[in-house]
Amino acid sequence: MNNFGVSDSNLVSHYKSGNEEAFEELVSRHKSRVFTTIYLIVKDKYVAEDLLQDTFIKVVKTIKSGRYNEEGKFLPWILRIAHNLAIDYFRKEKRYPTIVMEDGSKVFNTLEFAEDSIETLQIKSDTNALLKKLVQELPETQKEVLIMRHYMQMSFQDIAEATDVSINTALGRMRYALINLRKKMQNSTIAYDNTFYRK
Amino acid sequence: MTILFTENDLIRYVYGETSELENSEIENAVLCDSELSEKLDDLKSIYYDLNHLIVSPSERAMSDIFKNSVLL
Repeated sequence: MNNFGVSDSNLVSHYKSGNEEAFEELVSRHKSRVFTTIYLIVKDKYVAEDLLQDTFIKVVKTIKSGRYNEEGKFLPWILRIAHNLAIDYFRKEKRYPTIVMEDGSKVFNTLEFAEDSIETLQIKSDTNALLKKLVQELPETQKEVLIMRHYMQMSFQDIAEATDVSINTALGRMRYALINLRKKMQNSTIAYDNTFYRK
Repeated sequence: MTILFTENDLIRYVYGETSELENSEIENAVLCDSELSEKLDDLKSIYYDLNHLIVSPSERAMSDIFKNSVLL
């Protein structure tokens, strides 16, 4: 089956008819965006992978039981499921915090940090690694709007309604998030350059 | 006539939420306002960086998802 150019909606129909390849194509198309959305909220690769699986289990159950609403768009729908699961996890974590080590890292995250540090050693100037870290350091309200707008592709109006604030507040939070990120990116680049070119 | 734009308008512009009229006004304003142009460049720059911030799940996680689909 050549899925090039086939819409999500058609793939869902094929999947409903029992075509597993159609499901694989849907997952392949959207896995990175869904995973990034979850990962930026929960900050842990392994938890994010579990939640990604939970997300797709919900998707499979909903489609196979005939409860999927054809009128809605597939990607925003699945992103909402992923976001809700990640937020639920995040809230539970806040209520029942995991053990925190002296350096502030979670015990559960140790493996991930080890992985990150190798990555960092290999590609120290990697913009993505730096940006990933900076996004995770944003205040929660700013990070929430950033994820909803940039990765979940919700409009500012929809974000305002979902987070129960005015559209100007949502825009303001996004503005602070982007400006903060830009400044920190520039500062980090300058600091990094200084260590290289110091006389 | 001087048209003033707030930074929130620039955010809406970068995310494609401005009308065609607003787009054209912002694009004209940027041509003759270097400060506005700089602000817009900053926003676009971080916007493009964020577009490249994509994290991928492991092959194992993908394989489990496909297995679940067959089993459920």
